[in-house]
Amino acid sequence: MANILIVDDSSTMRKIISRSLRQAGLTVDEIYEAGDGIEGLSVLASGKPVTLILSDINMPNMDGLEFIRQVRANGNPVPIVMITTEGGEEILKEAIASGASDSIKKPFTPEQLQEKLGALI
Amino acid sequence: MSLNAEIADTGRFTEEQLAKYVIDATKDVFSTMVMMDPADDYPLKDPIHRFQCSITGMVGFAGIYSGVISIHCPVALALQITSSMLGMECEEVNEDLNDAIGEIANMLGGSVKQVLSKGGMDVKLSIPTVISGEDYTVNSLSDLDCVVIPFKVNDTKFLVGLTLKKED
Repeated sequence: MANILIVDDSSTMRKIISRSLRQAGLTVDEIYEAGDGIEGLSVLASGKPVTLILSDINMPNMDGLEFIRQVRANGNPVPIVMITTEGGEEILKEAIASGASDSIKKPFTPEQLQEKLGALI
Repeated sequence: MSLNAEIADTGRFTEEQLAKYVIDATKDVFSTMVMMDPADDYPLKDPIHRFQCSITGMVGFAGIYSGVISIHCPVALALQITSSMLGMECEEVNEDLNDAIGEIANMLGGSVKQVLSKGGMDVKLSIPTVISGEDYTVNSLSDLDCVVIPFKVNDTKFLVGLTLKKED
């Protein structure tokens, strides 16, 4: 069971991720949504019991890499998995170095979500 | 329409190779996220700059390459695409439609970026831009810089274009 925060500037992608989690058979209690890193930090600061973060990288206002750094700087150890169009080795290494646990490349299938997130949910 | 000679001269990509990348990326995005299987009809016979009752999503590249990848499709098809992506009926041009077409452009941009930049740090993607209207034109600074792929799905055509320039 998990309370998941989805951080993505595309409302379409947030809906697809939510639906794909269900299609993957992953049991989710609550899904919270944020349109960029700043909104994501606000959700966390509001005290929502988030147990997993799924975050895009390319976003306006605050991108996913800065968002991870801020989450970790705040001492929050919640697992963060990047769901992004970015597939480059260096940028994903930077995400991992900043505190991300793993990454999923867009486009993705529910099966790929199951494979990557099954152990975290 | 042919690829920028500067890129072709680098020996890294031919126009046919880039066309294949665009075709593969488009089919992958559509089959995985839109639940549609478009057929490509490359090459484009005649340049198309004018679009009617259509929507265009674009994402820019900046870094060792600059350029734009774009998807142009009739609004009627865009409504089907958006409905399929969201799992609910979308019947008018609204924020959902703009967001869905922008996100497709974003995923296409990400796929092409992987070809252009192995590490991912030397090419950056812009936030998507979407335009729509009853009658508008889209022009690259030079036709020579473009590869444009026609696709057909549900008996409706749409285009995916890639404009690239190798930076010094």
